[in-house]
Amino acid sequence: MAAVTDQMAPGAHVARKTPKGTFDIVFRNASFLSALFVLVLLAGIMLSMVIGGWPAFREMGLGFLTSSVWDTQNDQYGALPAIVGTLSTALIALVIGVPLSLGIAVYLTQLAPPWFKQPVSTAIELLAAVPSIIYGMWGLFVFVPLWAAYVQVPLSNIIEGMPIIGTVLYSRSPSGLGILTAGIILAFMIIPFIASIVRDMLDQIPSVLRESAYGIGATTWEVVRHVLVPQAGVSIIGAVMLGLGRALGETMAVTFVVGNANRLSASIMDPGSTIASRIANEFNEALGLQLNALIALGCILFFVTFVVLVIARILVARVKAF
Amino acid sequence: MLSTLELSPQTLDADAPVRIAVKNLDFYYGEHKALKNINLDFRDRHVTALIGPSGCGKSTLLRIFNRIYSLYPEQKATGEILLDGRNIISNNVDVNELRSRIGMVFQKPTPFPMSIYDNVAFGIRLYEKPPKSELDDRVEGALRRAALWDEVKDKLKSSGMGLSGGQQQRLCIARTIAQKPEVILFDEPTSALDPISTGKIEDLLEQLKADFTIVIVTHNMQQAARISQYTAFMYLGEVIEFDATNTIFMNPHKKQTQDYVTGRFG
Repeated sequence: MAAVTDQMAPGAHVARKTPKGTFDIVFRNASFLSALFVLVLLAGIMLSMVIGGWPAFREMGLGFLTSSVWDTQNDQYGALPAIVGTLSTALIALVIGVPLSLGIAVYLTQLAPPWFKQPVSTAIELLAAVPSIIYGMWGLFVFVPLWAAYVQVPLSNIIEGMPIIGTVLYSRSPSGLGILTAGIILAFMIIPFIASIVRDMLDQIPSVLRESAYGIGATTWEVVRHVLVPQAGVSIIGAVMLGLGRALGETMAVTFVVGNANRLSASIMDPGSTIASRIANEFNEALGLQLNALIALGCILFFVTFVVLVIARILVARVKAF
Repeated sequence: MLSTLELSPQTLDADAPVRIAVKNLDFYYGEHKALKNINLDFRDRHVTALIGPSGCGKSTLLRIFNRIYSLYPEQKATGEILLDGRNIISNNVDVNELRSRIGMVFQKPTPFPMSIYDNVAFGIRLYEKPPKSELDDRVEGALRRAALWDEVKDKLKSSGMGLSGGQQQRLCIARTIAQKPEVILFDEPTSALDPISTGKIEDLLEQLKADFTIVIVTHNMQQAARISQYTAFMYLGEVIEFDATNTIFMNPHKKQTQDYVTGRFG
């Protein structure tokens, strides 16, 4: 006891040691290496993709991007249908998914009574956790037959011969599979992501801002459109880009329902393919130049997602600057 | 304590018509009764201050006048609030139209995510479609009245979020008066501001009462004494005393009021 009191006394100096220098150095370097690992990984993947795809780019040149031939017998490959399919399915997914997601988020945060808000919020979380292969199976076995019987067949009968619509929405073989079907399934998949992020963002807006917008006599629509959505603007763009990223790269669900046809069609009801579905379909049996062509497709997908990311960054920076 | 209060000159007009009459008003947050049998008259073109310790229900009362409480389904008011003879808490009132006639300025500045010009024009555009030149004039007029014009006239197109706190609050006042409301509610409008900005807002209130009926909630007794003609002292959801501001601060009739204004509790 006496010893303790002595040590506590202000006059009694205890020699302090600085924390062990060696451990600190190890710790710093370990965290640096962890960060470096990401860069190495990214560079490694990019490098191996470019090396793997290089023979295809060399053989086909720029024609690889513009040709729609995919001929394994004569080793002629073109990426155009897959690129167009990837972009158009993702675009359809956004056109359908973004308004629905915003609607869900606005309703949940602004209008829903508490007894309804909780179950819908939970359902959204659960939907986001459903594996993509489930969406694919459900799409193929449930959605596709219904889509063929109740939409493609009657719609094609009605619009046959009409200008523009008669081409864009006409299905030559109403199987239910196609670009639009894949876009719809993708929309279902990205809605939970976008809706839950936007919901969280709207929830974070201080209630005094919302009250003051109502306070000058704005209707719910005006408050949402002119005050809340612009206030959450950056995060909404971020959420949409996240959804777009998922739609561009999604493989399993799309492979099930897109129809896997290598042709360009003016109709979004016709089967097509995306980069990811093409790779998934052919990777097992691909040899030689075909394998190189598939890896080259992967490179293109990589590039497209990268461009999306850059555009997202630019948009976010712009909104923030205002 | 009393001697340190600078009281406003006796400019109240005892014959001014009653603009808002509150009769037998009760208010509930769910089961909790937050306001009990409130009876108050607010006179036209006068500033009435609501004072009292935290939780006394002064902000709650203010939020009833423009039906902000209606945004929350569990909140309920019973009784009558007559604005020009019409009961504004009845269910068949057009709430949006009511809010355009009874403006509100909040505790914290709430600029909308749009340009300074659009912030002020937003409220006008909701109910009127004036030609561009008239809209410009009204935006300028409102910004001048809010004593903000000189500071922002060169950057009307830039975001309202970029202004300082005091400027943002004056922007919110400009936005409110641009709508030409009849009544303006202020909910502790200077509680988030520095003393200089507070002084500017108080000067503004002094001028606004020429045209508007003003109700202000404040926790700052000096402020209430400086700017209001009438004061209601509230405690635990009830109005303890309501009278001319000078009476409330100089010779209140109730002991509770006396204790509060002299700083003995609250």
